[in-house]
Formats: sequence, structure tokens, C-alpha cells
Amino acid sequence: MGRWSRNGASPRVRCLGRVRCTVDFIMRCAIVGSGLAALATHATLRHGGLSAEEIVVFGTHDDPTEVWRERANAIRQQRMRSESDGHLAPVSFPGLAVREAVRRGSPTPLLRSVVNRYHPSVDDFLAHAASVRERSGWACSFRAQRVERVRAIDGGFAVDGEGPFAHVMIATGHPGLARLDAFPGAVHAYEPHEYASTVAVVGAGMAAATEWLNALAAGAEVVSIRRREPLRRPLNVPRPFFSKRGLAAYHAATTERRAATLRELSTPSYPAGAAWDKPVRAAEREGRFRVEASPNGSAQVIAATGFRQGFRHDALLADLVDAHDLPTHDRWIVLEPDSTVAALTDETRTLALAGVAAQWAFPAADTIAGAKYAAHGFRRRVCRTR
Amino acid sequence: MSYTLIGRIQSRVVSTLPALLVALALQRWWAIELVALMLGIGVALDAGVYHRVLAYQPAWLALPLGALELGLVYAAMRWLELMAPLRWAVGLYAIGWVAAQLFGHAVFPRLRLEYAEDGGELGRRGALTAVAVGAIVLGGLGAAYAVKPPTVHLHGTVQGPLLITHAQTLVGGTVRGGILIRANNVTLRNVTVVGGENGIDVLDSHHVMLDNVRVVGVSLDGIHVRRSSVMIENCKITAPSGPWVQGIDISFSMDKEMSMVEGCTIVGVREGIVTHMTMVDVMHNHIGATSLRGITMGEMSMGAINNNDVLGAHGVGIICLDHSECSIEQNTIVGTRTDPTGDASRAGVAIEAHFFATAKVSHNTVIASPGGVQAFDGSTVTR
Repeated sequence: MGRWSRNGASPRVRCLGRVRCTVDFIMRCAIVGSGLAALATHATLRHGGLSAEEIVVFGTHDDPTEVWRERANAIRQQRMRSESDGHLAPVSFPGLAVREAVRRGSPTPLLRSVVNRYHPSVDDFLAHAASVRERSGWACSFRAQRVERVRAIDGGFAVDGEGPFAHVMIATGHPGLARLDAFPGAVHAYEPHEYASTVAVVGAGMAAATEWLNALAAGAEVVSIRRREPLRRPLNVPRPFFSKRGLAAYHAATTERRAATLRELSTPSYPAGAAWDKPVRAAEREGRFRVEASPNGSAQVIAATGFRQGFRHDALLADLVDAHDLPTHDRWIVLEPDSTVAALTDETRTLALAGVAAQWAFPAADTIAGAKYAAHGFRRRVCRTR
Repeated sequence: MSYTLIGRIQSRVVSTLPALLVALALQRWWAIELVALMLGIGVALDAGVYHRVLAYQPAWLALPLGALELGLVYAAMRWLELMAPLRWAVGLYAIGWVAAQLFGHAVFPRLRLEYAEDGGELGRRGALTAVAVGAIVLGGLGAAYAVKPPTVHLHGTVQGPLLITHAQTLVGGTVRGGILIRANNVTLRNVTVVGGENGIDVLDSHHVMLDNVRVVGVSLDGIHVRRSSVMIENCKITAPSGPWVQGIDISFSMDKEMSMVEGCTIVGVREGIVTHMTMVDVMHNHIGATSLRGITMGEMSMGAINNNDVLGAHGVGIICLDHSECSIEQNTIVGTRTDPTGDASRAGVAIEAHFFATAKVSHNTVIASPGGVQAFDGSTVTR
């Protein structure tokens, strides 16, 4: 059985590039979805000792970074919000700061990382993701297929009638962009766009703040439309929620309390710092940035309103919940702390969720750390029954 | 990282492994005791302070917390009178600190994918390793305590000479007529010796510690060491009862562990500190009014003579003699007087290399010493 090189130096993949593998043997794991969370899961399973042929990735994009990259390009994102360990390789060390320091022959990325001021460039993140994809043998596992149905059957799960797969990870990502009914002509921040001379940006999160700066840099006047003052936070959620320290209390809370925490944490936020504040303050002094309740005649409205929320917007998940009568609470599917669905997981099979759908287990599930958290839990289950 | 309490403690204990291995390799009880001290203070801080105060611990905080713990470990060392050489102790602490950083940022995340999200917890294997490390430290500590030499407290004045033939710690009191040490692992602390030929005579012994001893009124050597290794700290040797008295003489110990003389005050003797065929460091001593030389490193000795004050020496302040190799740095030599015999090598020379000796000299302060810095008879002085 092939084992992914732990030092990352010499990949041992049996099929490379676009060469398709034969799948005439028993496959054990399926990953439904082909985005960043799927790649993180695939790489983690490979690190755990599974061969690429033992894993099938069902997805619509053979490049797992494609959807994310298009959105990042749309808002002209240059730097990641995540830090040095915000990458998709299964082992967090060496992180992106170490890699950049070695590549540039400079300690600066390390020093910035030590004081939490290091945010890798989008290009570095994508280049590293491409390398992870190559080394993990993603192409060998990938199958272009949009999955519409996952069902529990004897011996595991059927994925669109195919199977059984003993272990299935569903990582279908965000269920579409949240559009504004009040502004039908608005362009979403995550769609390609240019900037008019006057731009109204709806929202108060990371994408909105990025759009303020983009539009100001393009010479536009900006109107910020928001329901609340922006929350300033270095990462999507407070840092203790990335580890057992914060998660233990969260997992022990009642369903109501847990849902309340998730609602509270879903408040839009972006990092503090002069890089964000200085251009806005300068524009305010020049009269080019203001906060208003409506576009007030702006030539362009940009909806920086993120994504639709809740599993009901994801046809696959909604079908799964209805078919198996899975427990839910409000817009979330109720999960175990390791991101598995308790009703469909036992000693012989695993159904787990990754990405935003796994927030019940990990509040920052739609981050890279969240993807890896779910992948680690999935790997433990798979390796235990292997 | 946001540690759980268990994660903090497991990470700390397992990270102690390199320092523990070094301590075991050193084969010194103080090293084991020091590692135990580091671990004890660290775990106490983890449980009592860090876990409560630091919900999230950024990487940069390792520096101030490391400095804080170093200070506490040092204070505890002094309080517990742990006989660890300061440089070695700091070195061992540095190994522990660096290992903690390497383990926390690189080794643990590589060995355990969930390390960060588990708040530093290391899983079953990590917990077993932590228990093993803790057991070794506690076992070592217990063994150190079990074989610890007895401590004898002297009160008042004891008529000597006192012969010591077993490992022990002798504390306080005054001994008349000298002390003879003929055993390993002997410590004299806060002892005053009055009279006798040699005040303290150490022969064929190692791991001998003389801490804060006072020697007065002897007729040969204040401290006389042969074929032994000693650490002498904060001694005082004064009021010799004759013109031939040497302050400290450490000789014929080239095949023994390195000796050290630090923080001593020696006044009015013929030679302050003299060595023959010995590896020794002579540091931070104050030597005044010697009639032959202040500090002599002679007869193929090797070592450093650093940060000493030599005041009012007659003839020569510091000399590297007879094929010795000396590093002489940051000393202050003041008022070295010219010997009226007319010998150029004793013409108020502050620092001298003599008879094929090699001296590396730098950053010394020489005042009112007409001979300055000189080399004689095939010797070399490099700066």
C-alpha cells in the first residue's frame, strides 16, 4: 500500500496528472465535494496510510482550489486571513511562514508569525495547495460527478447508487451566494466585477472591508451599508474556539446554547490594523467614504453578504436529512464533536461533514482549520476500522 | 495556541526530555535536581497561573515567560542551595527552553496531527511518555536525595586539623589548624579556618566545593589542592602568618575535571592564585598586595583568567608561565610595582607571558603598571 511521504519530498503516487485510475477493487472511502475541505480530507487520509486508489473524490472541479480562487480573485484578495498553519497539508509543520522564510532566505516571515502578524499571500497558499494536490495523488482519486444523493445501506453508504463506501465525507461547501432581494441589480462581491464611480457595499465582514479598500483604490466613492458596526477580530472566531480549550465547553453546552453561540460567532468581522483602517480614514476625511442606510444614488451596489446559510440550501444535505430523519437544530445538522453524524456512524461505517455544514461540531468549520479538524476526525474513524 | 491544562502539562513534561537526557549524560545530581526544579516550577505555573490567565498564548510570549521562569529557577536554586555551576545551569535551562519551542512548534505537530486542536494534548502515547519522563525525574530526584552526603553543622570553634574521609557537607563554624579533605563530593560552606600550614588541603578528591570559606593566619597555602578538582566560590584568604604563603594553589590536576576559582578575595600573600598542570578558570576574584605575583597560571596549565581585579602586586600582576595556554580577558590590573632586583620580567608587569607560554589578551584595563603587557623567553601574546 502506498504511503504518502511524510517529509513531503518524494511523492509516491501511482497515477499522476489526468491519468485515470481503474477502480475495479473495493473502495473504502468517498469524499463528496471537490473543494478545499475535500483536498484537506484527501491529503489527511493519504497521510494516514490510505492509497489514492482507496479513496474516491466525487466532485465538479478537478482543481480543488478553483471555486475558492475565483472568489478570492473577485474580491482581489491578496493575503489570507489565516496564518502560517493555514494550509492544506496534513502536517501543520512546516507552515507557510517557514516555507516562505526558506524560499526568501529571510527570517522576516518567521518573526511576523511569532507575533501573529504573518498572513500568507493568496499566491503562496494556492501554490502550496497545488503541491499538496499533486503529492496526495488527488487526480488518481478524483471522479467528475455531481452527487445528488447519499444513502445509508448495508456495509456503508451508496453515493448516487454506487457503493457501498464504508466511510463517506460530505464536503460540498457553501450552498450558494447570499443575494439581496432589495437590490436585484447588485453584483455579489464573489462574482467578477469592476467598480463604478460611486459604489455602495452592503455588509460588514471581511469581503465588505476588502471591497471598501478595492473601490477606494479604484478611485470610487464608497457608501457602506451595514446593520451593525463591524466586529474586529483577527480570525473568524476567537482563538480558543480553534482548540479543545474553547471547544470543550461548546460541545458540552445545550443545543440552544450552542446555536446561540453559533449565531453570535457568525457576526461579520474583519481583522484590526492600520492596513484596513488607514485608507478608510483617509477617504472619510476626503468625503469619499461614508456609512448610510441606503445606496443613496450609488451607481453600483456590491453585495458583500457572504453565503446562504443552513443545510436546507444544500440539496444533497437536505435530501440526506429528510431521507434518514437526521436530527437538526435550526439551520444546523446536529453532529458529534468529531463532525460525524451519530445516527449513521458506528464501528463499521462513518458519515462525516466538513466545511460550513460542520459548524455544529466546529464553529470555524468553514475555515482551513475547520476543514482539517473534520479531516482529522474522519481519519481517526477510518484508520480505526481499517 | 490555546492550551488545555492537560495539554500544557503534557507538552511541558515531554519537552523536558532533551534536558533530562543531557542531565543524565552529565552524571551529576545537581543536573537532575535542576531539571526537576525546572519541571516543578513550570508545572506549578501552568496549573496556577498560565492556564487561568492565558486563554490563548501567542508564540512571542515564550520569551518573557522563559525569562520569568529562568529567574524563578535561579532564585529557587539559591534558596535550595543547589550546587550547580551557573553556566552549566543556564545552559541546561536553555536546552530545556529551546527544546520546548522546537517540540511545541515542530515536533509535536508533526507527530500528532491534532496537536493544536487538542490544545497541546499528546494522546495516549504522549501521556505515557509524559509519565515516563516524570517518573525518571522523580526517580532521579529520589536517588539524589538517597545518596546525598550528610550535612554536618559546626558550631563555635573546633580544634583541628579536621580530616574528612567521607562525602559530606560541612556548614559553618571555625576550625583551628586546618581541614584535610580526602574524599569525593565534599562541600565546605561558610566555614572559617584559622592557622595551620595549609588552611584547606584537598588531595586526590573530586567534586569538592568550597563555598564562602574564610582562611586566616596560615603559614603555607590558604587552599592547597593536589590531583583534585574543586570549585571555589566567594572565599576570603587574608592575614598570612609568614612571607611564603600562597592564597590558592591548585596543581597536578590536568587529568581531572576542570576546576574553578570565582569571587574570592585574597590579600597580602606571596602569590594570590597559582596553578600548575591544571585546567582551571579564574574569574571575578579580587587580589591585593601580593609580594610575588597576583595570579599565576603555570607549568602547562590551561584556562581563562577573566574579570579579576589585581591591585598593588609586587613585580607581576598576572602571568601565564611555562608552556601554559591562557585566555586573559577583561581584568583590571592597577599599581603593579617594580621589583628592585632589576629583573625586566618583574618590572611592574601587569600581564606577562613567560617561557614558551601562549596568552590571548583582550579588553584588560592596566593602570599605573610600568611594565605593561609583555612576553619573555619564547612566549607569545596575542590580542
